[in-house]
Amino acid sequence: MRIRAALVGLLVATALLPGCANSRNAVVSCGLDERSLVLTAQAVPSATLVPCVAELPAGWSYAGADIRSGRARFWLDSDRGGFHAVEVELTPSCDTSDAVEVRPAPDEIGARVYAEPIALDPALWANRYVVFSGGCATYRYRFAAGAPSTLSLEAEEALGFFPRSALVQDVEERYGLTLCGAEAPPCDG
Amino acid sequence: MDGTIRPQRFPDPPPPAATTRGGFHRRPSGEPPPLPHELGRTGRFWLYLALAIVLLISYGPFRAAVEHWDAVQLRFLADHRGPRLTDGALLLNALTSRWTIRILRWGTIGTLVVFRRWRHLLVFLGAVVAVEVVAYQLTLAIGHARAFDVRILADWSGFAMPSRPLVSLAISLIGIAYALVVPGRPRYVAKWAIAIVLGVLCLVRMYLAVDHPSSAIAGAVVGVALGVTAFRWFAPNDAFPVAYRRGKTAHLDVGGRRGEAIVRAVRDQLGLAVLQIKPIGLEGSGGSTPLRLQVRGEDGPERYVFAKLYAKSHVRADRWYKAGRTILYGALEDETPFQTVRRFVEYEDYTLRLLEDYDLTTPKPYGVVEITPEREYMIVMEFFEHAVELGDAAVDERVIDEGLRLVREMWDAGLAHRDVKPANLMVQDGHLRLIDVFFVQVRPSPWRQAVDLANMMLVLALRSDAPTVYRLALRYFSEDEIAEAFAATRGVASPTQLRASLKRDGRDLLGEFRALAPAREPIKIQRWSLRRIALTIGVAIAAFVALGMVVSNWAVFA
Repeated sequence: MRIRAALVGLLVATALLPGCANSRNAVVSCGLDERSLVLTAQAVPSATLVPCVAELPAGWSYAGADIRSGRARFWLDSDRGGFHAVEVELTPSCDTSDAVEVRPAPDEIGARVYAEPIALDPALWANRYVVFSGGCATYRYRFAAGAPSTLSLEAEEALGFFPRSALVQDVEERYGLTLCGAEAPPCDG
Repeated sequence: MDGTIRPQRFPDPPPPAATTRGGFHRRPSGEPPPLPHELGRTGRFWLYLALAIVLLISYGPFRAAVEHWDAVQLRFLADHRGPRLTDGALLLNALTSRWTIRILRWGTIGTLVVFRRWRHLLVFLGAVVAVEVVAYQLTLAIGHARAFDVRILADWSGFAMPSRPLVSLAISLIGIAYALVVPGRPRYVAKWAIAIVLGVLCLVRMYLAVDHPSSAIAGAVVGVALGVTAFRWFAPNDAFPVAYRRGKTAHLDVGGRRGEAIVRAVRDQLGLAVLQIKPIGLEGSGGSTPLRLQVRGEDGPERYVFAKLYAKSHVRADRWYKAGRTILYGALEDETPFQTVRRFVEYEDYTLRLLEDYDLTTPKPYGVVEITPEREYMIVMEFFEHAVELGDAAVDERVIDEGLRLVREMWDAGLAHRDVKPANLMVQDGHLRLIDVFFVQVRPSPWRQAVDLANMMLVLALRSDAPTVYRLALRYFSEDEIAEAFAATRGVASPTQLRASLKRDGRDLLGEFRALAPAREPIKIQRWSLRRIALTIGVAIAAFVALGMVVSNWAVFA
């Protein structure tokens, strides 16, 4: 009986915990309470900016993330743009040789921005590179056939950057520890 | 682990319990059954430990303390880093790579397939998928960042708590220990080896700062706990022993704890002291584990009784067998699967008593013995001493006559045996005996009865010749009845053992009987029914869903 209770407990815990997970920890949102944001900063410790989701417009949804050492990616789905309509990837550097430099958006001041159109028909397929100190954020637009190109503007509105320095300060205040990498004191080892 | 072929001796039966009355002992409420179905002490320990770790780490205030403790340990280890130590740690850390885990898992799957150990394979696959899902959800739920304060020296992926590489390695190694390593000393050694490997890798990953101490420990504990729980609960050793020997997997090991449980159960429930347990006739039986028990009753002489041990796995096997046969051939008759193992033994006990009432030459029933409630039961009956299986016995006209009369008597009583084959007919002192009455059906269809007759005639002809059997059959059956029997009997209507014996014999006995009997159109046995169509579609959908699940969880294995 006690074994059954333990098994049920484990199953209930497993069933309930993902609910918390999806709402809090899985989304790379622009905010100090977001654990995925800290993890993204740890994935590319040299990057001084961390790409994140500011606010999702109507019709857009968060589709998941893959954060690992050296690279962090997340995806957005759109009711018109389709599944994984936009992929955002943070890497230490990127190849912009096939792209043309364009003017940065207001929240991208200090960064160099490049655009690389791939196709316009039947829908917009393009790459956008935001290069900054220690990192590069690549936006990959892969809209479904028939989706309007203006969706890219909505996506850009939804996405933003969070300064690493703020995360370093938060980790220091919260845990008394150092978020190793750019904008932080040198770490052990 | 070859308890199914070697007799198990019990020279000094354990003394009866204090509450014994006339040799019998009623199990009081709350007292464990002879062979309890349980996780065991270590299983419970791991399960509670995993649960405690998960709950404690999920609890906010405790988590902050754990994170602080983690940081202190990691800083200490980082202070002792050196180039050679780091190279060694990186090398050892390769044991937690996806490739290592992939090789371990596919190696285990391949070995289990080769040895046709389907139960272990199913539990292994289920445990791996379940553990991976649980670990992934826990990482998201807890959302523990990677190490602060120290430089991380190895590659990582996702949140840190629990360590997913260690979870994956732990469940894979535990799966190997429980599915491939034989119990006893080899498994004991394997468990210690796993403990050492996991311990070293925890240290290595902490040194590289790729895991926190708490996440490394949690990873190893969750993987071990869920693996041990899965195997002990769904593939317990007593029911699904790991052994590398020939034989049907349906047969249970009657050594060790089960052997002791049988002795205790027979003593308490039938008042008989078991002196020896010997598995017999395994090759002719796939649906149970047949045993010969040497027993001694109260003040009685030593004698033998026959017993059939049934487990839940036999019920499932019977259900799958009937479902498969329905899809392939259509429901041959009104066969309905049994839902519980208790029903299995209850039904066989009933048929034994029924046939005894009709004075047929079947074993006398002694009763049903409970080994593990709702999981394992044993039916005990008379043992025909010095009896020889018909396939090996001298068969004269008297034996043939008795066989044919037996079928006539069953027809007259409105019964069908449904499993007439050489292994179920014994010759004792020149007389025919019928055993294994599990498939007996009351008020069967005429087709079933006809098949019984044809199968009996074929079995008898195997030890004599078709004209003799046909001639003697005319004493009890009309020519039309015999013609009907051979028009009804084709392919799957005969038991597998009988078909194999006919093939080995080489004579076309079926053709000879058909030539002797009046001509009659074959009776169709392939029947389409709504149930057959629904079952076929259901199985196809289930297979499709299962395939989909394998594909969607492919990353776990590939």
